[in-house]
Amino acid sequence: MKLILFYLRKLLAVVRNEVLVLPSRVAVIIFFLFILLLPSFTDDVYILRVFTLTCIFAIFAASWDLLCGFTGQLNFGHALFFGVGAYSAALMNIHWQLAPWFSIPLGALVAVAAGLTVGIPALRLKGTYLALTTMAFPIIVIGLIFTFPGFTGGELGISGIQKLAPTRIEEYYVISILMLVLCTIMWKITDSNTGIIFHAIREDEIAVRASGVNTTRYKLLAFCLSGFFAGLAGGLYAHFMRIVGPSTLDVSLSFQVVIWSIFGGAATIYGPVAAVFFLYPTLELFHLIQDYRTIVFAIVVLLVLIFMPDGLFRWLREKVEEECPRCKVRNVAWRKTCRVCTASLE
Amino acid sequence: MSQSFLEVKGLTKKFGGLTAVNDATFSMERHQIIGLIGPNGAGKTTLLRLMTGILKPDSGSVRFMGQEMAGKNTWDIVNKGMVSTFQNMRPFRRLPIIANVMVACLCPRALKRGEWVKKIEAKAMDALEFAGISDMAKENASILSQGDLKRLEVARAIATEPELLLLDEPFGGLSPAETDLMAKSIKRLHKGGRFGRLHSEGPAMIIVEHKLHWLMMIATRIIVLSFGTIIADGTPDEIIKNPTVIEAYLGQGGN
Repeated sequence: MKLILFYLRKLLAVVRNEVLVLPSRVAVIIFFLFILLLPSFTDDVYILRVFTLTCIFAIFAASWDLLCGFTGQLNFGHALFFGVGAYSAALMNIHWQLAPWFSIPLGALVAVAAGLTVGIPALRLKGTYLALTTMAFPIIVIGLIFTFPGFTGGELGISGIQKLAPTRIEEYYVISILMLVLCTIMWKITDSNTGIIFHAIREDEIAVRASGVNTTRYKLLAFCLSGFFAGLAGGLYAHFMRIVGPSTLDVSLSFQVVIWSIFGGAATIYGPVAAVFFLYPTLELFHLIQDYRTIVFAIVVLLVLIFMPDGLFRWLREKVEEECPRCKVRNVAWRKTCRVCTASLE
Repeated sequence: MSQSFLEVKGLTKKFGGLTAVNDATFSMERHQIIGLIGPNGAGKTTLLRLMTGILKPDSGSVRFMGQEMAGKNTWDIVNKGMVSTFQNMRPFRRLPIIANVMVACLCPRALKRGEWVKKIEAKAMDALEFAGISDMAKENASILSQGDLKRLEVARAIATEPELLLLDEPFGGLSPAETDLMAKSIKRLHKGGRFGRLHSEGPAMIIVEHKLHWLMMIATRIIVLSFGTIIADGTPDEIIKNPTVIEAYLGQGGN
């Protein structure tokens, strides 16, 4: 009993000293609680469906950020991984009767193979050339799908895929908790030593090589990791929507993910996730003004990009938090002295 | 074991019609510090880049500790123990200074040699300490001055614990006082020993430099390049008196 109390007190101290001192950390906690408690506020099927899709696209956007924001390998065909993951999961489910628990990870592995396929030619390309080349891959796969309509369903896609879980709430929980876990993993990857090398490759690849790091291996790793997470998102999408069509490989989906990530702030992981949670439900809300939906959306995005080129959420973070000039610890903007080294923040 | 530490033979590189390095041949011993000098455009930097695999030579061979290096990947060469700095510094500008050095600490060679080092950061910090910029470790590399960038280059190079260190203009853009400090650091590094968690074998060095006064103080041997060809090779005293070198630097009739 004493031991439990001891740990509880320790936990409280951590919460008070580490979490409550920074608005961004409080925001993350509130976000987690919101995701986990949403079904207790509403059991409206439509709202749950919107937020489930939001969670899926959040994984997708974060995976783009891992590859392009961090490693700097500009990919304008990211829908390839999503679509390949979705199609593979669907095909395995339909043809081999694999349960979602097998078909989704296996689909993600196929997406990893797709990542390698794109990654190997991408090793020789940079910047816009790479972006244009990657754009071609999803289009090639769409062509393949149309060529074998008997197997892939052609333009109609594949329908009748097994449900992820019996009820909407269960489906919501499976996907939302997976989203939280996967995004935390991606954030941890970018925070690790591997993440530092990813950052460095984006900054100057030759200098990384001259430091003795095998950049080829790390670039391929970035493609595979990104493909894996995007493939998981695709598989979840297939089993949630229960239909997979060529739209999962669409160019518009590839650009959507770029817009989300840049809007939220590339190379942050939290930025793209937050951006999806802001933009996707907002776009659904705009159903009320159906005719002007796209133009209002475009104006919002453009305004953010013009006035906050580093992304909305990074901008917000800079507004409410500032770095201590001496010890580089982040502080709330309205503090007068640093919370660690007590240097003046004026 | 009679093979020499480094043996460069017939190294040639052409850029279109321009022969940047022409049939460069020399060898060096483990304990030497070689100064590589020559007028602008003589091919000094190109020679270093050929040796570290950033550029691929058209012909010739580089044997380092008994192994052929020409045509290998840069990272393999670095992991064998030959590392170079860049003349035009190439830091990762949007990363903190410590992270710049951590990248080098994460290469296989440094990881293997520092197995007992638990924290990569601690080792990177020691490299920065050696270079004298540890007080700015958490700042972004973009704020560094020219001189500090040079130090960062050196810190990044020694973090891989090299056997042979190729320094490309380590004094370029430094004030006389800074140059003095850097020259002393280089001498100290050459003596070898332990700098915190960082172990220095006392690497052999090839230094490309224009500030001859300081270079002569450090180097035990000077190689002179002109238009891609090695025109002289000897001790600093011999080189100063060599008429071919004086001609290459000052033109005919100079003294």
